[in-house]
Amino acid sequence: MRTALQINNNEKINASLLFFVVLSTQIGVGIHGFQRIIVEDVGNSAWISVILATLFSHIAVFFMIKTLKLYPSNDLYGIHQEIFGKYFGNFLNLIYITYCSFAFYTVIRNYIEVINTWVFPNLAQAFISVSLLILVIYAFTGGLRVMVGVCFFSFMVSLWILVIVFFPLKYAHYNHLLPLFHTDFISLIKGAYSMTFTIVGFEIINVIYPFAKEKEKASKYVHLGLLFTMVVYLIIIVISTVYFSEAQLKKTVWATLTLFSVIKLPFIERIEIITICFWLIIILPNLCLFAWSAYRGVIRIKKIKETTFILVFSVLILIANIPILTRAQINRFDHYFSQIAFYIVFFYPFLLYMIALSKKLLKKRERSN
Amino acid sequence: MKKEKLFIVLLSCILLMGCADQKILERIGLVTLIGYDVEEEEKISATVVIRQINPEFQSKVEVQTETENTSKGTRISIDRKTAKQIAAGQLRVVLFGEDLAKKSIEHPIHTFMMNNEISTSIYLAVVRGDAQSLLAYPYENVTDVGQHIYNLIDHNIEQQQTISSTLHEIVRDDYSDVRNFALPILLKKGENIQLDGIALFKKGKMVGELPANDIFYIMIMTNKLDNGTVELTLDGETLNNNKFKDEQLQIAVDSIKTKRKIKVVNSKQNEFNLTVNMDCRLLEIDSKVSLTDPKVYEDIERAMSEKIKKEMMKTLKYSQEVDSDIYGFGEQFRSQVRDSNLTEEKWSELFQNMKVNFDVNVEIVRNGVFE
Repeated sequence: MRTALQINNNEKINASLLFFVVLSTQIGVGIHGFQRIIVEDVGNSAWISVILATLFSHIAVFFMIKTLKLYPSNDLYGIHQEIFGKYFGNFLNLIYITYCSFAFYTVIRNYIEVINTWVFPNLAQAFISVSLLILVIYAFTGGLRVMVGVCFFSFMVSLWILVIVFFPLKYAHYNHLLPLFHTDFISLIKGAYSMTFTIVGFEIINVIYPFAKEKEKASKYVHLGLLFTMVVYLIIIVISTVYFSEAQLKKTVWATLTLFSVIKLPFIERIEIITICFWLIIILPNLCLFAWSAYRGVIRIKKIKETTFILVFSVLILIANIPILTRAQINRFDHYFSQIAFYIVFFYPFLLYMIALSKKLLKKRERSN
Repeated sequence: MKKEKLFIVLLSCILLMGCADQKILERIGLVTLIGYDVEEEEKISATVVIRQINPEFQSKVEVQTETENTSKGTRISIDRKTAKQIAAGQLRVVLFGEDLAKKSIEHPIHTFMMNNEISTSIYLAVVRGDAQSLLAYPYENVTDVGQHIYNLIDHNIEQQQTISSTLHEIVRDDYSDVRNFALPILLKKGENIQLDGIALFKKGKMVGELPANDIFYIMIMTNKLDNGTVELTLDGETLNNNKFKDEQLQIAVDSIKTKRKIKVVNSKQNEFNLTVNMDCRLLEIDSKVSLTDPKVYEDIERAMSEKIKKEMMKTLKYSQEVDSDIYGFGEQFRSQVRDSNLTEEKWSELFQNMKVNFDVNVEIVRNGVFE
C-alpha cells in the first residue's frame, strides 16, 4: 500500500519550530480556568499535579515519537492505514479526525463563552465565530508554514502576559502553599487527570512530525516545548494558590482572568479586558493546527483541495455554533471532551506503539524465514 | 485582482469589529461609588454617585437613591431616573451602612464578584450611620464625593495608615474558613469625611470595632509595614529617668519598617509566638529629653516595645472576644500544623482560647537633623 508521504523540502519546517508549535497548541482556553478543577481534587498541592500531568505528557510524547520513527516518512493517519489496513485504518482515522474537529469546536466555544461573559454580553455567538473563522481560513489557506509562523508570533507577542501575572503577588499569602505534600497520591493523580483538558494539544506531533526537517532533533524540541508549558502552568497555579483562598478558588470560574482583574496600570485600568481580547492570538494557532490536522486525515480518505476543505469545515463549525449552550452544558461538554482526549492522547499512543512494534517484528521474522 | 478584493473584505471585517458593542463616554453615566443601606422589610437601598462626562461643560456629579429587593433591581430603577445609560466599570468604592454591615454584607459582595464589569480592586468600607446621608450631603469643599472618598481610602492604604480592603481581599478572607476580615469605617464629621476606626467582621457580619488609634497595632500584627507612622504615649517611669517619673512622654516615630512572624509553638494547647521586629526613625520627643546619650535610646526603645506589646495584647484580646481572626493566626496554624483539619467551628473555638507570647523589638535607626 502506498501511504508514505511525499513532502517537498520547501514544505518542511525547521525542527526547532516544533517548540513553538507544541507550546501554542497546548496553551489555549484551558488555562483560563484550570485552577478550579484541580484544586477541587488536591487543594493547595495543585502544583504537584501540574508536574505529574507534564510527566505523563512527556511519556505520551515519547511513545508517539517512537511510533513515528518506525515509519519515518508517515504521519498517524498513514500508520493507521499501514497497520490496520484500509478499512479499519480509515475508521481509526475518522475517529481521530472527529477528535480534532471536536477540539477545534471546544476551543472556539469556550472562547466565545469567555468573550460573552467578560467583554461583550450582547454580542451574537455567530458573529464571534465568523470573525474567528475568517482568521482561521486566512491562515489555513497560507499553508502549514504560515500556520507555524502564526504559532511563532503568537508566542512572541504574548510573552508580556507572563510578566503581568506577577503583579497580583502584591496580595499574596505565601503560607497558602503550606503544609507541603499533605495530599495523598491518589488525589494527586486525580488532579493530574483533571489537567487533561488544559494540557492536551501536543498530539499535533502525530501529524506534523513528517514535516520536520531534522527528524533526529525533533523530539528534543517537542520535549522542551512541553517543559516550557509546564513552567507557564506552574507559575499560574502557584500564583493562584497564594493569591486566592482555597474556597474562593473553587468558586472562581476563570481564575486566571480574575487574577488579572486586580491589576491596575497607570495607562490602563482593566487589563483583563485587553488580555481576553488578546487571547484571540493565543487560540489562533490552536484552531489552525487542529483544523489542519483534521485536513491531513481527510485527504487520506478522499482527496479534496485545501480551500474546499476549510470552507466546508468552517461552515460546519459555524452551524454547530448556532445553538446557544448554557454554561453547564459547556462544562459538561468540556468534561466529556477531556475524558475522550485522555484516552486518545495519553493512553492510545502507548497501545499503538506496542501494536506497531509487534507488527514490525513479525514482518522481520517473516522476511528472515 | 481576486486576492486584493478578498483582502479588502477581510480588512473591513476586522476594522468593523470595533463597532460591535460601543460605549461612548458622553452617552454614559459612570458609577464611581455605591452606598448600600438596609431598609425596612428586608429591602436594600442603594445610593449611587454618577459622574457624567460632558464635552462642553464641567463634568456633573449626581447622587441617586433607590430601594429595591436586589441590587440589580436598584440599578434598573436608577436607570429609569437618569438620562444616560449607567455603566459600572469605573466603580471604585462600595460603602455599607452600619446597620447593613451588622446584618451581613455577604450578599452584596457575592453580587459584585459575579459581575464581570466590576474590578476586584475596588475598595469596601463601612459608614457610621447610613451611607445615604454621607453621600447626599452637599459638602463645601468636595465637588465629586465619589472620587473624594476613593482618594481618601486609597492614599491611606498606600501610606499604610489603614488596612487594605480591596474586594479581592475581603472575598478571599470571607470564603476562607480560618480567617476573617476587617473594613475601615468612614464617618461624616461636619464638613468632612474621615476614617474612623476599623470594623471587625465574622462571616460577613460586623461583630465589633476598634478605634482609629489601634489600626497601627492591627497593621503590624497582620502584615509587614514598609512605611508606617505612629504616635505613642510612654509612661515616664519606664524611661528609668527620675526627671520624667510622673509625666507622660509623647513621642512620634515614622519610616517604620516592621516584620512580623507567627510561629506555632504548641499545637496541642494552641500557643503562638508572635515576633515583631521594628525599625523606625524618631521624629518627635519632649525637648527636655537629651538625645546625645546612647543609653537614652535604649530606654526609649524598651519603653516603646513595652507600650506596643501592651496595645497589641489589648487589640488581640478584643478580637478574641468578638471572635474575629483578622490577623491570620488560623492560616498560620493551618500551614504550620500538619493534618490540622481545621474547620470553621474548630478554629473559632481554638482562636478564642489561644495563647500568644508577644515579642517586640524596636530599634531606633536614626532621628532628625537636630539632637
